Amino acid sequence: MTGLRAVRQAAIVCRKELRDSLRDRRALWSILFSVIIGPVLIGFMMNRIIDRQREAENVVIPIVGMNRAPALVDWLRQQAGVTVEEGPADAERAVKERREAVVVVIPENFAERFADSKPATVRVVADGSRNDTRAQGERVRRLLAVYAAEIGSLRLIVRGVSPAAVRPLAIEDVEVSTAQQRAAQILTFIPMFIMVAGFVGGMQIATDSTAGERERGSLEPLLVNPAPRASFVTGKWLAASVAAIGSAILTTALCAQLTKLLPLEDMGVSLRLGPDYFGYVLLAAIPLCLFTAALQATVATMSRSFKEAQSYMGVLMLGPMLPGLVASLYPMGSTLWLNGIPMLGSFLLLSDTLSGRPPGAAEFLTSAAVSFALTVGLLRVTTRLFRSEHIIFGR
Amino acid sequence: MIRIEDVRKHFGSVAAVDGVSFTAENGAITGLLGPNGAGKTTTLRMLYAVMAPDSGQIHVDDIDAVASPQTAQARLGVLPDGFGLYPRLTAREHLEYFGALHDMGGAHLARRIDELLDLLDMRGIADRRTAGFSHGERTKVALARALVHDPQNVLLDEPTNGLDVMSTRAVRAIVGRLRDEGRCVLFSSHVMQEVSALCDSIVVMSRGKVAAVGSPDDLRRQTGHDNLEDAFVKLADRRRRPSA
Repeated sequence: MTGLRAVRQAAIVCRKELRDSLRDRRALWSILFSVIIGPVLIGFMMNRIIDRQREAENVVIPIVGMNRAPALVDWLRQQAGVTVEEGPADAERAVKERREAVVVVIPENFAERFADSKPATVRVVADGSRNDTRAQGERVRRLLAVYAAEIGSLRLIVRGVSPAAVRPLAIEDVEVSTAQQRAAQILTFIPMFIMVAGFVGGMQIATDSTAGERERGSLEPLLVNPAPRASFVTGKWLAASVAAIGSAILTTALCAQLTKLLPLEDMGVSLRLGPDYFGYVLLAAIPLCLFTAALQATVATMSRSFKEAQSYMGVLMLGPMLPGLVASLYPMGSTLWLNGIPMLGSFLLLSDTLSGRPPGAAEFLTSAAVSFALTVGLLRVTTRLFRSEHIIFGR
Repeated sequence: MIRIEDVRKHFGSVAAVDGVSFTAENGAITGLLGPNGAGKTTTLRMLYAVMAPDSGQIHVDDIDAVASPQTAQARLGVLPDGFGLYPRLTAREHLEYFGALHDMGGAHLARRIDELLDLLDMRGIADRRTAGFSHGERTKVALARALVHDPQNVLLDEPTNGLDVMSTRAVRAIVGRLRDEGRCVLFSSHVMQEVSALCDSIVVMSRGKVAAVGSPDDLRRQTGHDNLEDAFVKLADRRRRPSA
């Protein structure tokens, strides 16, 4: 009976905190910002990458001295996506000043050396320090290498030698990363943004309903109500969790929507954010949100003022961000013991799910069990803090 | 009815409440009078069970408030020092929240809220958020919130502090009405006139101890001062310098 009553009172507290925070315009805007910023940034970055990829495929090659190598120019013209144009007089300056991405220069003695079957120089002028033109330079070099190999083969055949004789190695590239994994590399930020959105979503209620409630002087009248302290703590934590989960879901949905708009398939890349994968995302995100909300509530209850609580939140924010940053330096996947590390475990579940290989039940269970255990522990600590006169009345 | 016996509370080496005993009867207004720092608020906080006494007994309607604080709290209506309202909630929502925490709901709670809105003349502000409320309006909300569950015992910590004349009169009228309904009203104040005008019984506190207990007339007699304010000063002073 009393247990049921305690649960009902926690629900009453939770409902009030949610209603109260929904009316806090400034807090809502900050949550909305944190929810939107991730997908917007990713969309922007992906669009740039896709544009560049396309630029490399549809390459315009300025050539200086076209008339010195008409056969080469004709061959280039016949390649898919290649346009040839007259190059600028001073090729190096044009590239240095970023007027051209890459310029091919055919020297005057090209035809002569070519006719003599001596290596004929073709100069590729490019700026290796520029990330945005690297793909185009690579494309041009590959095209020239293909042409050189074709001509070489023809010359051998003319001399009665099989081209195979000068190809002791047949190099075959076997790419083991799947398209989804490559997508995940670019999109490793999505799990981090989901986690940060969950963190920021719960932060407002977690601090306002604990440190804020005390600072307003409304904690004392609240605690005069005949309810166990655990009910107050649970209600406040629950409200923060609901907001956290809501934000995380919203960010996930926005990312899913975004990836539909982006021409990811053109890059040979696909991101798993369909309805079937949404469930896995929730399985990873919900225990995480429950845990971060409990952590926030505990820290905010311990801090001396609302302001102090807010500055602690800034430090805690590293929690959901670090795994993403570490993983971008040291790529790692789900293993049982890594999944047992709070935050990092959830991050791995999310990133593996989004790259198209959701981990098994054991990994999900390990991560969830750790998060739940920590949550229960933190709620106990907060309940004890709510019983302390030092905490209730400030120091 | 509220009964406290030999209650003590220390903060570090300071004895904030040092062996306080008194009884507040039903159908009477008991005033807890004393200068700032006399231990009034600490005594009340132990009474409404947000602080635990170091030693001593507290009974609310014969319920041991130290052993079963929640059962005692259910029978208490409390207006703490500093009202602590939620600026984004309306006056009505404050009453709904606390009513719900007292296991009230539905038509019963709605009716009770209507009653209180009428009693405290709060109809005009009932559905406005409390953010812009005047001091008097905030007092009314806090008072209504304390009374929402129709408690037998009402504790008011300096309820008229900082109120204008009209609001003070309104609060006094409510307090009188609560007494007439047979409730036990305990209220603290450092304002002499208020206590003498309102209270049936006065507990004078000074430095964590009870300096005197009695009706306003008793106190005048005890101290030999016709003026209650002089009586009060003398009582507080006697505590401060026991040798004098």
